[in-house]
Amino acid sequence: MLESLVSLECMSLSSMDVSVLERLKWLQQQPQQQQQVRSSTNASPELLQFHGTNNDELLQSTFSHFQMLGSGFGPNYNMGFGPSHETMDGCISRTSSCQMDPADTMGIILKNSEENIAISLKNKRKSEVKTREEEKTEKKIKVEAETESNMKGKSNMSNTEASSDTSKQTSKGASEIQKLDYIHVRARRGQATDRHSLAERARREKISKKMKYLQDLVPGCNKVTGRAGMLDEIINYVQSLQRQVEFLSMKLAVLNPELELAMEDLSVKQFQAYFTNLPVVAASKPSIMIDAPLFPLDQQGSLDLSVINPNQATSIEAPSASWETQSQSLYNTSSLGFQY
Amino acid sequence: MERQIINKKKRVFSVEPNKIPPSEVFTRKYTSHLVPALKKLNMNKNSSQVNQLTVKHEVDMALALSAQEFAWSRFLLQKLSSSNNPTTATSSSSNGIRIQERSGKEGGGDEDGEIEEKLRELQKLLPGGEEMNVEEMLSEIGTYIKCLELQTIALKSMVQDTT
Repeated sequence: MLESLVSLECMSLSSMDVSVLERLKWLQQQPQQQQQVRSSTNASPELLQFHGTNNDELLQSTFSHFQMLGSGFGPNYNMGFGPSHETMDGCISRTSSCQMDPADTMGIILKNSEENIAISLKNKRKSEVKTREEEKTEKKIKVEAETESNMKGKSNMSNTEASSDTSKQTSKGASEIQKLDYIHVRARRGQATDRHSLAERARREKISKKMKYLQDLVPGCNKVTGRAGMLDEIINYVQSLQRQVEFLSMKLAVLNPELELAMEDLSVKQFQAYFTNLPVVAASKPSIMIDAPLFPLDQQGSLDLSVINPNQATSIEAPSASWETQSQSLYNTSSLGFQY
Repeated sequence: MERQIINKKKRVFSVEPNKIPPSEVFTRKYTSHLVPALKKLNMNKNSSQVNQLTVKHEVDMALALSAQEFAWSRFLLQKLSSSNNPTTATSSSSNGIRIQERSGKEGGGDEDGEIEEKLRELQKLLPGGEEMNVEEMLSEIGTYIKCLELQTIALKSMVQDTT
């Protein structure tokens, strides 16, 4: 029902020679989906502003009923559509308070709309930025948002976001008109704030590069998209690493008295082997020989490789389990309990 | 061990921040610092009450000493030395360079705040992170994570060696 009214209204409006209508025609020429619906609703913000009430309020409450209003200016100016919607009554009562002939009302609307265009365009621009953020890719959004913010400062942005959040529909509908004006503005703004936007963009690219590098570093970060999730993962990972270090140092504190004297050489060789994936040359472990003469070195060497097992659960639990057995059978190589 | 007083106004940076230390070098340094320290602890404390805190202290010290090319190691050293001497005033400032608000970065204001919160948390995790810019902090975090990983590997193998 609304759509039929919309089409009616289109016909009625297009019959008049008006700047608003010219714009509508221009937009109608563009081959886009739902063009008619959009174009018809495009005029709504301007016409609504004519009433002099709060834009947001009107946009919120009366958008869906604009088709009724619009038809009110045509030959079908009637209260016939009123009873079905309560808010509709309120809207129509607003219009009816002016109570003029349809032709005259249109004329007045046109005059005021031209005066209000500057104001309306500002508002639409802001909401347009919002819609673009919603509809288009992130990069574009950022560029436009940057220019927007550079021009108008943070406070304006917050205001527009608050206001445009509530006017999603109208902003979508009004996107056609806004595009036309937005393009002009964008070109001008680009020239003016080039330095700022470039610097910001460069800075942001740097940061995103680093985030990508961190993403590679932290396991499991690839699945999460968006900076917040990634930062979460990174925080969790760092915390878990720190906890691991604490836990291991605690363990070390407990086991400290049993530290072998030659552990230094041993560790160094271990790590070399680990990182070069080569079997440890067991020639340089004389001190161990002293403790355990029956202890075959090659076995010790291969054990070192297996000891460095990134799998935490098994590697941490195994030593504690095998500690007692090892202490009992120090010279028995088979019962060392190391993992292979 | 040199104590570096970091001025609030000075920028925090690492020497060759983008260069990742080869893992071998780090672990070698690390173990060479830690093992003798632990031995020393053993010998000094005859009553085998090796305090967990002191071991942790040594562990951190070893980490800081073996990664001296990074900014966070400086801060770590600072912290450790200050915890050794609680009477001396710590020069680390509490009012670090906070993350500045990035206007219009994301679509909604809430998202922006969330991300800043998380970045601040990350800053807290990193030693000296609160005195860095966001960019610097992000690169420092990368190296810090790497060194932590190597440290855990070293400690694990040490623990398993002694058992």
